[in-house]
Amino acid sequence: MNKKRYAIVLDTRRCIDCKACTVACKAENNVPLGRQNHRNWVTEEEVRGTYPHLGQSFTPSQCMHCANAPCKKVCPTSATGRSPEGIITVDEKRCIGCKYCMTACPYDARYYNEEIEAVDKCTFCQHRILAGRVPACVDTCPTKVRVFGDINDPTSEASKLLAKHPHRVIKEGMGTKPHLFYLI
Amino acid sequence: MSRLLEKNLSRRRFMGLSSCALATVAVGSQIKVLKSLAMTGEVGELTNLPSKDVFTSCGMCVNKCGVIARVQNGIIQKLDPNPNFFIKSRGMLCARGNAGTKVVYDPDRLKYPLIRVEGSKRGEGKFRRATWEEALDLVAKNMNDIAAKYSRASVMFASSEGTFSEHFFLQLAECFGTPNTVRHPTLCLSSNIQGFGATYGTNPTPDVLNADYVIMSGANRSEALITPDSIDMLTGDGGKRKLIYLDPRFTKTAAKADEWYPIKPGTDMAFILAMINVIVTEGLYDSAFIEEQTVGFDKLVPHIDPYTPEWAAGECEIPAEDIRRIAREFANAAPKAVYYQGRRSSFMANDTQMRRAMAILNTIVGNWDTKGGMIPNSCIKLTNHDYIAPWYDEDIPGRLEGDAITYISEKDGSWPVLRDRALAADPYPIKGMMVYKQNVLGSVPNRAKSIQLIEQMDFVCTIDITMSDTAWYSDVVLPEATYLERNDPLECLGGIVPVVAFRQPCIEPMFESKESLWIIQQIAKRLSDEIYAEFDFTMEEHIHHQVKKNPQILEDLKTKGVYFENTSPVYGKSKGTRLKTKSGKIEIYSEKYAENGHDPLPVYSSPVTVPPNRYRLLIGRHAFFTHGTTANNPYLHDIMPENTLWLNVLEAQKMGLTEGQMVKVRSAVGEQTLKLEITPKIRPDSVYMAHGFGVLSKAQTNIYGKGGSDAALIDEKYCPISGNVALHETFVEVLPA
Amino acid sequence: MASFTKKPGELLWFSLLGLGMLVGAGTALMVLTKGHSHMYNVSREVPWGILISTYVFFVVSSTGLCLVSSLGHVFGIEQFELIGRRAILLSIITLLTGFGTIAMEINHPIRMAIYVMLTPNLESPIWWMGTLYGIYLVLLIGEFFFLMKNHHKGALTMGILGFIAAVTAHSNLGGVFGLLEARPYWHGSFLPLYFILSALVSGGALISIIVYYNYQFRKIPLPAKYPHFLTTLAKLQALFLMILIFFIIWKIIPGLYGRPPEKYEATMAILTGPLAFNFWFFEVLIGMIAPVMILFTKKFVTPFGVMVAGALCTVGIFFMRYDLVVAGQIVPMREDTDGIINGLVSYAPSLAEYGIVLGALATCMFLYTLAEKVFDLEMKGH
Repeated sequence: MNKKRYAIVLDTRRCIDCKACTVACKAENNVPLGRQNHRNWVTEEEVRGTYPHLGQSFTPSQCMHCANAPCKKVCPTSATGRSPEGIITVDEKRCIGCKYCMTACPYDARYYNEEIEAVDKCTFCQHRILAGRVPACVDTCPTKVRVFGDINDPTSEASKLLAKHPHRVIKEGMGTKPHLFYLI
Repeated sequence: MSRLLEKNLSRRRFMGLSSCALATVAVGSQIKVLKSLAMTGEVGELTNLPSKDVFTSCGMCVNKCGVIARVQNGIIQKLDPNPNFFIKSRGMLCARGNAGTKVVYDPDRLKYPLIRVEGSKRGEGKFRRATWEEALDLVAKNMNDIAAKYSRASVMFASSEGTFSEHFFLQLAECFGTPNTVRHPTLCLSSNIQGFGATYGTNPTPDVLNADYVIMSGANRSEALITPDSIDMLTGDGGKRKLIYLDPRFTKTAAKADEWYPIKPGTDMAFILAMINVIVTEGLYDSAFIEEQTVGFDKLVPHIDPYTPEWAAGECEIPAEDIRRIAREFANAAPKAVYYQGRRSSFMANDTQMRRAMAILNTIVGNWDTKGGMIPNSCIKLTNHDYIAPWYDEDIPGRLEGDAITYISEKDGSWPVLRDRALAADPYPIKGMMVYKQNVLGSVPNRAKSIQLIEQMDFVCTIDITMSDTAWYSDVVLPEATYLERNDPLECLGGIVPVVAFRQPCIEPMFESKESLWIIQQIAKRLSDEIYAEFDFTMEEHIHHQVKKNPQILEDLKTKGVYFENTSPVYGKSKGTRLKTKSGKIEIYSEKYAENGHDPLPVYSSPVTVPPNRYRLLIGRHAFFTHGTTANNPYLHDIMPENTLWLNVLEAQKMGLTEGQMVKVRSAVGEQTLKLEITPKIRPDSVYMAHGFGVLSKAQTNIYGKGGSDAALIDEKYCPISGNVALHETFVEVLPA
Repeated sequence: MASFTKKPGELLWFSLLGLGMLVGAGTALMVLTKGHSHMYNVSREVPWGILISTYVFFVVSSTGLCLVSSLGHVFGIEQFELIGRRAILLSIITLLTGFGTIAMEINHPIRMAIYVMLTPNLESPIWWMGTLYGIYLVLLIGEFFFLMKNHHKGALTMGILGFIAAVTAHSNLGGVFGLLEARPYWHGSFLPLYFILSALVSGGALISIIVYYNYQFRKIPLPAKYPHFLTTLAKLQALFLMILIFFIIWKIIPGLYGRPPEKYEATMAILTGPLAFNFWFFEVLIGMIAPVMILFTKKFVTPFGVMVAGALCTVGIFFMRYDLVVAGQIVPMREDTDGIINGLVSYAPSLAEYGIVLGALATCMFLYTLAEKVFDLEMKGH
């Protein structure tokens, strides 16, 4: 059997920018209050066209759990690590708060959590995965934009979506090999 | 530097101005909140209770989605969607549903009974903590005094849907002997109920999931979330679906629609009549269905003649060829095509007739009670709770505004009319107001008038979970347990596929908050023995009574969090049965309306033209907030800290206004100051602001002083047929602040 | 220190510095009790603020002093031996103040001390930064020790090693920024080179200030070599500045040419945006044009003139560090980030951040003036 590799596949055409994922994540992971404090977010892309011919897309995002993660490279104390399933983690005890990873991440996926006194970020809700559930953002989404799964398992829903549809990743040119895949 | 001061200030606010220890902890985790409370003695020490998952229903809005509360050590850690609830909520929970933990663990929630400090004015917010005993005695004494001095009808009861417990409050009103209950529908959907009811005898549900063609006008389903429609709008059948969306604003629904038309506000009826005109003149209607199940089509044909697409284009500013094409596409897709009526229909004063036009359009394409069409609601039968209101010898007058509206609902009343009558004491005065979870000052248009109404009262009592503006202006404020801390009666959520939902406490009520049934029983006990006799039961008994004929319901609720009998729709149940109209058929032509002096077929009249240098004020919803009740929730506040005034780019350029500057918005009845948002997403003749800000209550610490209140600006016009307010008939000036 | 009473100027000087240190210490105490987030204006989008740039300013100064002084005792340019002890001492002090500043910036200096040892990440430029500057500090102290003992061989060995360490540590600091692909304004090999060069400017400038301070302000009689040293320093400093200008121009051109995404926006923020005043007034006018003009005007090449040029340079360089740190982060990583103004996120230091900076500057000057009183820093001839 292959090693597991977790990823999220997103169909943004379904996203209505309701922010359920953002609040679910804050509640699930005890993210401190404050607009700056969030592990995931929905980007309201710029309005296209001119009135009355307009269009707009909404792009939900979070840590991309890059295979070539710049945040992991720069961490002086190896506080940032990677689980065998590809999840980028932060060991809060080892985080010195130099915020180098925050400047290194091209996705603005990290923030400093004053409550746990360490840099914090999306963990794909590792604790929920262990309990056999999917990440909170995936679970709560009204229109099920996100599909979470093991892309090394060809029978997973995520793998099937990737096989069937063309997709893209964000800031591909950075060479970070992100694992949030957006269906086109 | 100024940012530093701001930070200090906000910290000082947490420390100083707020009296509660909770407020010192602006943190995410519930456990820290509780720990800090335990240190101050406001709650007990944390105990190590086993973890449990509790099925219940969300109480953040009216949808009542299925919830699983994850409770650890007596703390609600997280609310997850209940996948068993797929029929109604499709196994989801929105931002508000997820923010529910912060309703419980909210520094701003009501904790103890409060009595306005003697000698202080209403609205000053000077309250003292009281015992339940004292507060309840005061409520009952005042109610009885007003009844003795004026009449029982002089105490009005205002309540809101969205809880499962409103029933007991209305029962108290009836047992107390007042006819003057006023509920939310005339601020929301009573014209919808009336318009569709007059046509079908019921207000059916559009089968969005299975429709191939959906036209939505004024129903912003991506932001005004209704389960399952908001979800089904984007799922459905593999992309065959077409969504046509009419709205003066480019909303998030517009972003998801196949076609968006920025229709001129108040002209939807012209668009609909022109569609009917095309379908009728081109013979695209379902003649067999019309023949069999409707009355009055023959009268519709000549009536519709002048309403051509070319005529309509001049009214609604949608090109005639588009109207014609949409009408043809709609008729072709029928019966799997719906003209979606939405929920809130409090737009214009002629709204009931506009809803009639919608119903007629749906009727003539034959989509009634068939897959992908308009489906009459089904419900699962629960045993009613019957009670006998005490008999009073005294002569109690009828509903205050009963004669002003043609079809007034006995329980709902009509807010704008009732308020005018009460202010004029016509024909009798209203001197007491009991409020259950309705935010009168935040929701009823023309706030200045609502304040007058309150000021002329002898006594105002509010039962709520937060210090709403209305609570802020009350004499006694009673803290209800939140929806996660209480039992609520079972309720059937009617629809295409009905389910039964319920609530059970996830934790014990915090502070001194109490279940509403307890509060009402205690008031009843103090009012009179006759009244209390009708309340002499426990919640347990009430719930068991509801499932007397089918105990399986309660069984399923406890094990799955939901009870249902079917998982997929059963169509055509109404075929061959008499509808609840006079003729028993679908009434294209309404005899009933003719008899009452209303147009029996919808007659179009143009909306008032926007005066020069004025804008039409539009209001609307966000997926983050439920009306005026959740903007102060800490999680939701993070998403949207204030509301803005939307103004079209070109208009802003003309006036030389800049993005983000403060502007004064002035109407005939009020003035508000808020931030300007310059956007191409709105018609140049209109401005928009979200509901729920510009609050008066300083106890809403997150949002006090932020944004503007629409209720303070809207001039209360209303529909004479249904009594529904018309919220989009106000014109405002926009000036730099 | 009975001599204070005889020197009211000195008393005033120490009281002013004492006040500055008090402000710094008070602020530091508040930061430690209230937490960074309540006191600093750094944010999710701009996690590095004026404390990082001040840290860079100090360590660049340290490197510069070491490099310029090594012209004397390492490269044998005789006139420069004059300032050996002072330069190395100030180099140590600026380095230590730099460490102090960054300790106030990172949230957990103690965790750092533990985990850079227990679980080092050799891929991390910051890990190397700590390690190399640590080695560099040891070497500086050794060098100072031998200089004070007039142990020429020891001083030479330490000097050579210190020079290597200075270049390695400092170019690595450029790498801390330059290795971030996510920040196009920083990314590339430019910053390591630029950091070395601008260190020379910093070093030269500070030396001209301490020379003036000792010989004019403290009225220590000028040694015979002095006038010659002064003209050489002025010429060198002018040369360094000219090269710096050349570097700055070539930093800007690729930022504009072809409008490379993000790099262009950051460059424009410097040229016409929120950092433009800092750039044109402090960096260009005060930091480069004015000193060059002074140093190229013969009649201004006096102890006072060179000192003024040095002081102007130092101010300019302080802003260069600030602008560099902020410009690299000012372009948001996401388009709908909160508080974007004209496509850029904003950062302005908080009072607390200014307080720490003030404290650091005061401490640095205090330690130096105190050291002047404690050590005999006049170089005896060979």
